[in-house]
Amino acid sequence: MSALKQFRSMFLTHVKMTLREKQVWFWGIFFPVILMVIFMLIFSGGSDDFKVKVAAVADASHEGTGMMLAQLKQIPVFEWIEEEPVTRAYAEELVKDKEIAAAIVLPSAAGDTSLSLILNKEDEQNSTSMAVIGLLNEYVQTANLMAAGAEPVFSLDVESISAGSDDLKYQDFLLTGMIALSIAQGGLFGMVDMVEMRRKGLIKRLRMTPARMGLFGLSDMLMRLLFAVFQIILLSLIGVYGFGATLHIDLISLLIIFLFGALAFNAIGYFFSSFSKTTEAYMGIANIASFLMMFLSGVFFPIETMPGWLQPVSKALPLTYFVSGLRDGMVYATGWLSGAFWFGVGVLVLWGAVTFLLGSLLYRNRSLTAR
Amino acid sequence: MTVLEVQNLRKSYGSVQAVKDISFAVEAGEIFTIIGPNGAGKTTTLEMIEGLVRPDGGSISYGGLSWDKDAEAIRKLIGVQPQAEAMFDLLTPQENLELFASFYEKPMSVIEILDMVNLTEHRHKKVKVLSGGQRQRLAIGLAMIGDPQVLFLDEPTSGLDPQARRHIWDIVLALKEMGKTTILTTHYMDEAEKLSDRVCIVDAGEIVTLDAPEALIGRLTKEREVRMTFVDGDIAAEEAESFAGAQSSILRTERIGKDLKLWTERPEEALHALFGFTRDRGWRIDQVSIREMSLEDVFISYTGKEWRD
Repeated sequence: MSALKQFRSMFLTHVKMTLREKQVWFWGIFFPVILMVIFMLIFSGGSDDFKVKVAAVADASHEGTGMMLAQLKQIPVFEWIEEEPVTRAYAEELVKDKEIAAAIVLPSAAGDTSLSLILNKEDEQNSTSMAVIGLLNEYVQTANLMAAGAEPVFSLDVESISAGSDDLKYQDFLLTGMIALSIAQGGLFGMVDMVEMRRKGLIKRLRMTPARMGLFGLSDMLMRLLFAVFQIILLSLIGVYGFGATLHIDLISLLIIFLFGALAFNAIGYFFSSFSKTTEAYMGIANIASFLMMFLSGVFFPIETMPGWLQPVSKALPLTYFVSGLRDGMVYATGWLSGAFWFGVGVLVLWGAVTFLLGSLLYRNRSLTAR
Repeated sequence: MTVLEVQNLRKSYGSVQAVKDISFAVEAGEIFTIIGPNGAGKTTTLEMIEGLVRPDGGSISYGGLSWDKDAEAIRKLIGVQPQAEAMFDLLTPQENLELFASFYEKPMSVIEILDMVNLTEHRHKKVKVLSGGQRQRLAIGLAMIGDPQVLFLDEPTSGLDPQARRHIWDIVLALKEMGKTTILTTHYMDEAEKLSDRVCIVDAGEIVTLDAPEALIGRLTKEREVRMTFVDGDIAAEEAESFAGAQSSILRTERIGKDLKLWTERPEEALHALFGFTRDRGWRIDQVSIREMSLEDVFISYTGKEWRD
């Protein structure tokens, strides 16, 4: 009975403190929302179809150029800014001004069979130029084969697959990444009040009353979890209604990964708080950890796109598994039956348990030597 | 009735012996003050008694209860106002009191406490906007909320202006009226002298003396310092000095211009003779004072240290 009374008033205290702390509003709500909106605007603004603007150049028109142009126009990726071929000088102008990605120079004489390509030197190495070169090479080879009267023996069909639903979009990827990031930050930054409470002697003060410190910690944890649920809902609503993200939620996986993830990051924050003497020191450490993980854990981009030597680092970070677990639970609607999901949960549990134990140990040593 | 008994308390931190050997007993309803220079072992002693630090040796008994066996029961008996401002800044005084009240089975009423520490008017303001004195009063309120038998007030008035200090004195005296036992530490000698039933002076981890403040002062040397200022100038003072020097009741003298100081163990007799002399000459004396011995003199004589260092 008295435990319940204590728990209720402790929980209420945590709710009031959280809602009255401006830092919580900024880092817990405002910051993740702004970050997500910015990334959504930058990276998911373009259409899904890949198009390359090109122009054809023909100095002299003859039968061959017309036929070639007609064939090239069959390639769906090219978007022709002029229906008819333009002059070389004009095309060069267009390339320099980056109005078009490339100009395709058709053969000038009837017997000539060589195509050439005008690219902007600055863009020579980029993926668009590579794509244009690849496409033209393919065209030339097909034309050669046809000229030689041979039938192609091999062909390549590209089919992309994903473990879950077909309509995976960057919005979905980013939304789930941002949700994981904001919950992780809640844990990493959220223990700053522990540092403050210890500095002010509040923890010592509570220990001099019949208050049950275990209940105090538990009520704090409950408040944090509820706050994280609020973050999930808020970010999901913005992602789905503001940017057209689609979610396929598997409630069991989501619950499991949410609980273990949130606990693990709070444990890491608790560990940071155990050796930080001031709030400034704590915020510094939390910031470093947060920034490292933010860019190495596949929040914004898949970790497969990172350099190979960096990938083992990603594979050691807890956020990597939290992000991917959350994606399993919120986008792919798979998860709690798969081995990879449980491996991720295991890594999070390991991180949480080790940091919690270390933190507790440091707290205990400190209180023994405290004067 | 003894509410707290401390025997042969010892505590070392590494090679530093913070508390060497401290024993005392506190009676129900008294205000028991511990004073001592910085680093004397006051804080360590208090922290051991409050159950925060485990002693290396000795015993602490709250009417038979000990920290080893009855920690929970003791926590219900005591109320602590620590030096640090340990309260929730983002909550109001009322919310702070309500939270602490929930820790106890039979807490005092929050309204009553707010009234007692004179914070009713400010009960809905956040603690972080309160003044130093208001916060100290809230800290005492928080110590009171569990209706404790024994209260620990650790320097409750340090850093406060004279008026705020008086407020706190009133609260401490009101607690005594209610029959509470208070263990007080302070940096102010006048405070210790005014409030305490008994004063315990601690130095270098040991008790150097323990008694009622008046008794401590009475035990000091009987020598008194008398000062007087002569309206008729230096010559009058000079002649009075040579007269005083011949008196057996006056131990020694000192004169600066028209101000004369003399030391005597029998101030009445010395002044009587001196006034007879000045009346005969028709000299007027502007000011006369006999400096009273205070707890500060007791402190200095026992510890050899100035109070504030």
